[in-house]
Amino acid sequence: MANDPIHQFQIQELAGPFHIGGYEISFTNSALFMGISVATVTLILLAAAARGALVPGRLQSVGELWYEFIHNMVKNVLGPEGKPFFPLVFSLFSFVLVANMLGMFPYFFTVTSHVVVTASLAVFVVALVVVVGIAKHGLGWFKLFVPHGVPGVILPFISLIEIISFLSRPVSLGLRLFGNMLAGHIVLKVFAGFVVSLGALGFGGILGAVAPLAMAVALTALEFLVAFLQAFVFAILTCVYLNDALHTHH
Amino acid sequence: MTKRNDDEPGKNPPPPELGDLSARLKDLSGRIAAEKSEHAESAKPSASLQGATGFAKGYRLASEFVAGTLVGGLVGYGFDWLFGTLPFGLIIFLLLGFGAGILNMARAGNRVPPAQERLGSNPPPKAALDDEEED
Repeated sequence: MANDPIHQFQIQELAGPFHIGGYEISFTNSALFMGISVATVTLILLAAAARGALVPGRLQSVGELWYEFIHNMVKNVLGPEGKPFFPLVFSLFSFVLVANMLGMFPYFFTVTSHVVVTASLAVFVVALVVVVGIAKHGLGWFKLFVPHGVPGVILPFISLIEIISFLSRPVSLGLRLFGNMLAGHIVLKVFAGFVVSLGALGFGGILGAVAPLAMAVALTALEFLVAFLQAFVFAILTCVYLNDALHTHH
Repeated sequence: MTKRNDDEPGKNPPPPELGDLSARLKDLSGRIAAEKSEHAESAKPSASLQGATGFAKGYRLASEFVAGTLVGGLVGYGFDWLFGTLPFGLIIFLLLGFGAGILNMARAGNRVPPAQERLGSNPPPKAALDDEEED
């Protein structure tokens, strides 16, 4: 069915299942587009940095804006101690941004519309926060969950709420990106499907199809905004969470 | 290569590359000072999402709340699954997760100080924060 809005998210095996160590591993269209995303980021940035002109050309300007955007974000949120984490945040932002943008091409697969991918990224970020926090502050980092100045009677409840709040971070981080991309692409497909079905009804249908067509055009623009915005939100929340692990004294 | 001629014109000018060098040195020291002041003002990080648009902010608040409740429910169900106390863990942890969702939202909206500010043994009052040495 051409109008099936879910069809675009189907995983297809491109290179048959290999059996490696008891697991069934196959090269899917999702893996292909992850590879394409990484290759695109790498190629654009290598091309942007190739000349290194004093007065940047167009491509080099893009590369510099890209770099400085994330650099300023890391500097503003994490402060000078955040410099070691700049490559990580930059990689995350670039991967998510390019994967989202590639998903906007017709017939392309959107990697970030699968919760497995976004949740893996989010769990990785929060695990890193825990590791960095314990490495920097030892077991005292767990005092994060025990606020002081709270009466002893309600302290266990507050601690539990703090722990649940911390555990909900990877969920909200991953679900937000996944939900935005999935919902956006489904809505786009549904409105585009209206155009086709109404257009098949004859002249009156074609007249009626103008409204969903205009809607689909507007939604495409919105989806480009969302694709950028979600990459930005993912990157800045990574910074905010790392901030918990880094900044503690005073 | 713009050579700045801000020296007195009567004296014999320094050799061109030297003049250029001193201008660049001046420029560099100015840039270092600017960078330093920038560092000083960004040393206190602001964990707010002021750069994001209202759309992103709203969506973030909603997802924070949903995530808190969801995780609370999951933890409760896991607790029950481990100890065989089916309704009670789910009820209690769902309520706690609801609280965590509210806390997440309040934090995302900067209404509650982030958890990190509690780690210090005795946090100084806000007024005394800015004259502390932080480099």
